Amino acid sequence: MSTILERLDRLPKRNLTVLALKGIGTLVPGGWRNLTSADDLIADVLGSNDPTLIAQVRRRADELSRARHEGYTRAMSLYDAVNRSQKTAGGLRVLANVAGGLPLVKQMAKLTPASDTLQAVDLSLKVGAEMLAFTQVNGLPGDSFGDFAASLSEYAGEASVRMAALVCFDALLPLGDQALQRLDGLLSQVAPRELRDLPAYAGMASLIPGRGDEAHLTFLRRGVDTWLGWADGFVGGLGLTGQKAVRALEGTLGPWQGGFEQLATFLDAFTDTFQHTGVQAIARRLVERAAAEI
Amino acid sequence: MSRILRWGLALVLIAGLLIGTVLFLPFRSWLPGGTVGDLPKSEVVNGTAFNRLFPKAQAGETIVFTQEKRGFSEARLKSGAQTRALLAISDTSSAPEARNKFLSPVQRLQGWPLVEQGSQASALLVADRFQVKVIGQGSGLDQEQRHELLGAFDLAGLAALNPGAANSRTPTPTSAIPPGQRQPVILPTPVLEPAA
Repeated sequence: MSTILERLDRLPKRNLTVLALKGIGTLVPGGWRNLTSADDLIADVLGSNDPTLIAQVRRRADELSRARHEGYTRAMSLYDAVNRSQKTAGGLRVLANVAGGLPLVKQMAKLTPASDTLQAVDLSLKVGAEMLAFTQVNGLPGDSFGDFAASLSEYAGEASVRMAALVCFDALLPLGDQALQRLDGLLSQVAPRELRDLPAYAGMASLIPGRGDEAHLTFLRRGVDTWLGWADGFVGGLGLTGQKAVRALEGTLGPWQGGFEQLATFLDAFTDTFQHTGVQAIARRLVERAAAEI
Repeated sequence: MSRILRWGLALVLIAGLLIGTVLFLPFRSWLPGGTVGDLPKSEVVNGTAFNRLFPKAQAGETIVFTQEKRGFSEARLKSGAQTRALLAISDTSSAPEARNKFLSPVQRLQGWPLVEQGSQASALLVADRFQVKVIGQGSGLDQEQRHELLGAFDLAGLAALNPGAANSRTPTPTSAIPPGQRQPVILPTPVLEPAA
């Protein structure tokens, strides 16, 4: 199995995912830089270009990411599970859209609607994955709840483009500008067994605290509640709307003439933004640790 | 061999393998590769113990804890939104090779060996076991500021976490001998005495 830094080195330098993230990056102060070289990342953290030091950090980072109990690989597998599910669901919806044009299969197309509740559950799974990955990568930093909350917002601030992409692609575009206000209402309509309709859930279930679908759903809803408190301020502060997101994406991807929901479906099916920025976020924390331990 | 016997043997073999797997599953975490350097968790000091030893934030600065793992704790020193330095304490028992750079220290701080790594990182080895490190970020810190930060850690408290080696202020080279057995064994030399 490849280590986190090897995956970072293999990330694409230019494709749809990168272009979509660059577009969203224009909405966030500081923008977004596509860091795909482990050596550059290490030099950035260490503030030194000494090749022996860089090699030492790299060796230590690989050792850390191979150890199962350290959580870096486990966090990565959470992101992978969510990404796989997003692509499957998105692909199915694209198929349904295409099939909708053919008279014979029109009936079938009606079977796979991207209902708002499913979209809400999908978002809550992503937020849940984000929180679980945070604890896998960083542990429970600090001695008090205040320390932990500060650490969490520090992590979110560091990954502001990642959060903006999550908010735009999975909330504002498919659910409309009132998405965050509607989210709690939508999640309250979800039956525990509906979780099983999402492929990501199968990959994550063993890592979510609690036993059974009902406990897991409660955990996800609580996670979303916590996240909403932060996301409201984030969206308000940057003035994010679906319209703004589309305009930013058009700047890098080219003109779009369909609806917002279709754009969201298209992005779900053909980009890996969650995974791409996930590898970069984990790699940075891993290198910060390795640099301190050599 | 009769046919029934052959089938019986095959079934017994398969059943044995299955039962073996099921019995072995709970012990999966004992397999090598679970922890760094395959050290048992109990031999590495938990990062929680390090948190209270970090420097207190000065006016206009904040300390945000970012990682806490077994044998490791890290925080960022920030002024406003700007990260100025990474502060970390780690237990070198899972990374013994990290101790080698302290073998010929040029400088000492409160008696502990101090080493520079590149232009932005200073490391201190406390009680021959715990590494304290300050790495300047962004516009960076000069050497003096980094040393001042290192001195602001509760080094005495940190040394107290390793009672065995608290009074040895010179690092010992890493060896395969586990800690606690590093002293050379002195065999009693027989003294020849004239027979009475």
